[in-house]
Amino acid sequence: MTCAEFQKALPYIIETGGNAEQEEHLRTCTKCSDLVADLKYIAECAKLLVPMMDPSPRVWDEINKSLEQEGLVRKATPRGRLLEPTTASRWGPRRLVPVAAVVLAALALFVYRNQTGEKHVASNQAPEPAAVASSAVSVHGMSDADDQQVLQQVSAQSPSMRDAYESNLKQVNSDIADAQKSLDQNPDDADAEQSLRDAYEQKTMLYDMATSRSLP
Amino acid sequence: MRPEKGELTQAKKTSALGLSEAEAIERAKHGDAECFEALYGLHKRRVYSLCLRMTGNTAEAEDLTQEAFLQLYRKIATFRGESAFSTWLHRLAVNVVLMHLRKKGLPEVSLEESMEPQEDGPKKDIGARDNVLAGSIDRVNLERAIESLPPGYRIIFVLHDIEGYEHNEIAEMMGCSIGNSKSQLHKARMKLRDLLKITRAEKATRQ
Repeated sequence: MTCAEFQKALPYIIETGGNAEQEEHLRTCTKCSDLVADLKYIAECAKLLVPMMDPSPRVWDEINKSLEQEGLVRKATPRGRLLEPTTASRWGPRRLVPVAAVVLAALALFVYRNQTGEKHVASNQAPEPAAVASSAVSVHGMSDADDQQVLQQVSAQSPSMRDAYESNLKQVNSDIADAQKSLDQNPDDADAEQSLRDAYEQKTMLYDMATSRSLP
Repeated sequence: MRPEKGELTQAKKTSALGLSEAEAIERAKHGDAECFEALYGLHKRRVYSLCLRMTGNTAEAEDLTQEAFLQLYRKIATFRGESAFSTWLHRLAVNVVLMHLRKKGLPEVSLEESMEPQEDGPKKDIGARDNVLAGSIDRVNLERAIESLPPGYRIIFVLHDIEGYEHNEIAEMMGCSIGNSKSQLHKARMKLRDLLKITRAEKATRQ
């Protein structure tokens, strides 16, 4: 076998091996064996080429933009926090959390009062968050007039539950006041935000429970 | 295809989220933005390297990386886990690059393999004996040599020798025969051998 014949077949046998004649030529021909050694060495070096370069940050920015435009993503909430801290904004979480919670609580109260026959348009007269927060806790740790009304209703319907409701309302109002105070001191306090949100949700649940108890 | 290089190290990055890659994938299927980003972080380097090596152009490679990940996110809900996620993504990226090259009209592989010497082909190495290359190739010179390969040779070389695709897979992707794939790969390696020997000779002259 000549070198020309061997090298013509080489592309098809380099990985799998050749027939007896080709193998024999490889064993005996230093030129062809050097060639094969070089080609295999190049292939081995290529395997070791680890990806080293990152694309520029603009690539992710463009991807992210497209994902949002196509509606493929929803903003993830950070682990352990329900709300992302934001830069100072008129409608940042510090404002929206208590507003949302008050709306929920007011809606619960609206349902409750409708069921008891009282007229009260609570949903479009939600007090300012600051006002709610400041009036949330009375001298005795009791809430505002709505809390009193809830307790009166519970007393009328289930007297044995009144003390439990009163105690729970005191606690949740205290939690609201503490969280609000922390947030006033440090608007970026994510834990305080979360505590405030939790506290308002608990208060909403208490109202819900009270209204559901008063259902016939 | 061989396992992804550096995969174990990169997998640690999802641990910052307290998630395995599988969990991140599941959450990404439901539109979790953080998990999208985590998956991008895990795989961007390999996808970008693939695109860069196949195109030889940074701007094109970035555009193609972007397109590959966008297609990934659009299709991620269909990922069933029958293959490794990295394999699935990698194949998607390869298809994105090949589609791009086809649109550009660049030659990928000669559909009619000719046994006549090509003008741009490497010199036939019939009788000459040079010193062997073993031990003389460094990473930088090899990368440069790959960059200077003709596009058709470069694509096959990148897919087979760097990315680990088999000839039957390359043939399917490129729409050519297995024999054609082997032939083009051989030409690529021969061309690289010439380039690397020139580089070594130049280096020796300077010293």
